[in-house]
Amino acid sequence: MAMRDLITGATSCPDPSSSTSSQNPLGSLANALLGSSSKTQERLKEIPTSNSTGIASQFYAEPLLTQLPGSELDKPFLDANSQGSEFLNRFRSAGAGGFEETWDEIQRDGTQLRLYDGRGQPPPQLHQPTLDGTPQRVLSTFLHSFLDSSRGGIPFHPAPLPVLGLSEGDKQCIRDRSSIMARHLFADKSEEFIHAQVNALLCSLDIDSSVRGKGPMPERFRELDEYWNESQGNLIHGAHAADGWISEYSQHRERYDNPDAWANSFEQQHGVNGWVSEFENSQLSSVGQMQGMNMPNIAAMEQTRMLANTLAQNADPKFQNSKFLQFVSKMSRGELIIDDNQVKETALPASGDWAAEYQQQYNRGDAWAGEFLNNKALSGVGPEQWANEYSIERQQHGAVDDQWVDEFSKLHVNDWAEEFGQQVGEGVFGEGSSDNWANAYDEFLNEQIVAKQRLDSSRGVYVFSDLNPYVGHPNPLKEGQDLFRKGLLSEAVLALEAEVLKNPENAEGWRLLGIAHAENDDDQQAIAAMMRAQEADPTNLEVLLALGVSHTNELEQNAALKYLFGWLRNHPKYGTIAPPEISDSLYYADVARLFNEAAEISPDDADVHIVLGVLYNLSREYDKAISSFERALKLKPQDYSLWNKLGATQANSVQSADAIMAYQQALDLKPNYVRAWANMGISYANQGMYDESIRYYVRALAMNPKAENAWQYLRISLSCASRNDMFEACDSRNLDLLQKEFPLQ
Amino acid sequence: MADSSNLKSDSIMELMKQHIASDAGKDVVQKIGLVYQFQIAPKKIGIDEVIYTVDLKKGEVTKGAYEGGKPDATFSFKDEDFVKIALGKMNPQLAFMRGAMKVKGSLSAAQKFTPDIFPKPSKM
Repeated sequence: MAMRDLITGATSCPDPSSSTSSQNPLGSLANALLGSSSKTQERLKEIPTSNSTGIASQFYAEPLLTQLPGSELDKPFLDANSQGSEFLNRFRSAGAGGFEETWDEIQRDGTQLRLYDGRGQPPPQLHQPTLDGTPQRVLSTFLHSFLDSSRGGIPFHPAPLPVLGLSEGDKQCIRDRSSIMARHLFADKSEEFIHAQVNALLCSLDIDSSVRGKGPMPERFRELDEYWNESQGNLIHGAHAADGWISEYSQHRERYDNPDAWANSFEQQHGVNGWVSEFENSQLSSVGQMQGMNMPNIAAMEQTRMLANTLAQNADPKFQNSKFLQFVSKMSRGELIIDDNQVKETALPASGDWAAEYQQQYNRGDAWAGEFLNNKALSGVGPEQWANEYSIERQQHGAVDDQWVDEFSKLHVNDWAEEFGQQVGEGVFGEGSSDNWANAYDEFLNEQIVAKQRLDSSRGVYVFSDLNPYVGHPNPLKEGQDLFRKGLLSEAVLALEAEVLKNPENAEGWRLLGIAHAENDDDQQAIAAMMRAQEADPTNLEVLLALGVSHTNELEQNAALKYLFGWLRNHPKYGTIAPPEISDSLYYADVARLFNEAAEISPDDADVHIVLGVLYNLSREYDKAISSFERALKLKPQDYSLWNKLGATQANSVQSADAIMAYQQALDLKPNYVRAWANMGISYANQGMYDESIRYYVRALAMNPKAENAWQYLRISLSCASRNDMFEACDSRNLDLLQKEFPLQ
Repeated sequence: MADSSNLKSDSIMELMKQHIASDAGKDVVQKIGLVYQFQIAPKKIGIDEVIYTVDLKKGEVTKGAYEGGKPDATFSFKDEDFVKIALGKMNPQLAFMRGAMKVKGSLSAAQKFTPDIFPKPSKM
């Protein structure tokens, strides 16, 4: 998933034609990357039987959907592990000094989005991308060479590169994703080779391969922390004026007799902290005044505030004067809101308020100065000279400050507000951009709750990934099928999610998504996807079988029985032998009897034997289940999932040695079969061979870090192997460390 | 079904029954050496409980209450929670604190109860 996301920037939805043409070299790189799995390609031409795609193609005729139907579903369940706001990322990826370019890029993106808007305007020519020499270009070429080396299986050599200005987030992103990608690309190579490859890549990009995120959701928090710190830092920057003032004063004070008391008291009254807190208060109060506005606006404001602060760090005067920065900072102060995609100025002149308050502060300073003078007079330390000096000083600074305030309020509100309004009107910022800001903020607030909700809602509700690079892809179903065939399961999941977001009624999309999840060892998601597939197509036999299998895995016997009976009922050949009246109260014995009848009718139908095998698993008659699967395998020896079913059954009847041979068959047919890797781990663990089991769990997790069960089992195996020292790595999901510690030969 | 009840825990206990006779199971017996009684309720603790005795002295899993005297510790769960604990999805201490697991008998015996005594089911 990763490379595409990384390189193209996730929101931009490249035009199908341009993504492969030279116009978008980054997109084509991503395609090259994804299209090049080394050995699995030839082997897996077949997708477990796919039915009609007619519904789907009907939808492709209109790629002009601006709002994906059903996309509201993914808001409450945003994925915690992924990167932060795309919007911010775009800026950060440009690195220092690249902001002008990024600005151009935004405009470009806007034009690309506009193609999908269906407004029919030709893309303007003014921002033809010329990426020569830019960091992106260098990165693109470099990643290409990495890929080429992977094709030949030649060790990749680090190369010196110019400074790319990658941020920590980008690095993390490249690191995580390249290691998962490499594992898929080099599924047939040794662990050391993969490591060497990835390390060479990371080394050249100046990325520390050992540092990994801590905890299950480190990314977002860290990023927000950074922004928070930056913004705090900025407030203190703002205090520079006061700083200078104080230091200048302290130069003066050396000449006077009793300066300390005054200086202290001055600092108390007027000093850095007071000034800053006043400033903060005014900000807070303006936020408070905005409470009446709707949450998204406040959220957007918060986002832009962070953004503005980040942008303000850039010292380039051209950029500092840019209208965009002005716009962003305006927005961050709440003077602008976006309402119905139109920029509006808020009623309250926030900067005016602030200035007035600042002025008040000043007046208080006067009062204080007077009071101080009195005190001085009483204490009898010749104050007059000093007082004069002070008041002169103060006047000078007062002037400076006035200038500053003027400048502060002198931003050309109308100009850029108009401009922004125009741009929004033209769709430059894309439909979703303000939503994105709001979402990211909500996410930050609700992170913990969401994580909990996810646990609660883990039954039956499909949880979509955050930041899906395939959203907007012209034909995600086909892409997903291709990726699935190549064995890139996690990537296929994303493409298929994009498909079902686009066409929520596409049973085939949901079905394949369910299978991809099952093979990725995630039964909860598999069940959720399959249930949607069944809604869309209630009689699809493969869906019914898959639901029966997944529920069996989850030890939910009644549900499993229901779906397996449904399979029989809807089968064109055996439907007649299944009496509809028993479907209300299913008894295992009845269902088993019916399936045995079916098997007698056509002993050469592998599917009947498969369902029978699942059914015997349900009743824990493992010997019968094993012979059913073995019979099915005689008819379908290339079915990797059937080998895995046989293995799992053998393992559950404590024939672990046989199970491992069956899993090996499955993995020979499909090297990226995460479920089989995890099952290997289980079999070794159940034999008390904990060291081996750890290696297989880690291998499975390297391919799919979202396989929750494997994490839990890994922890148990670590404990049994007395490797409590690795608990922390396990709890923080530090796969690099775990892979280093437990390589698989 | 092979038996009339429909608990998820039945699958795990069935697996345990076979596992305990294997080499890895014998290691567990040697390590723990205690008798546990598990009372598993379909919906609410104490109601319609199915009782299993996991004898980690002799290496036996039997349905029904322990007949050789008093078990070292008796645990009560809901079906769902037992499965979570046995599969490592919930930590027994946490379950105890939340009231999802009730314990009778020797506390030191109870503390030796960990998810790794149970085999893990493989997935088809």
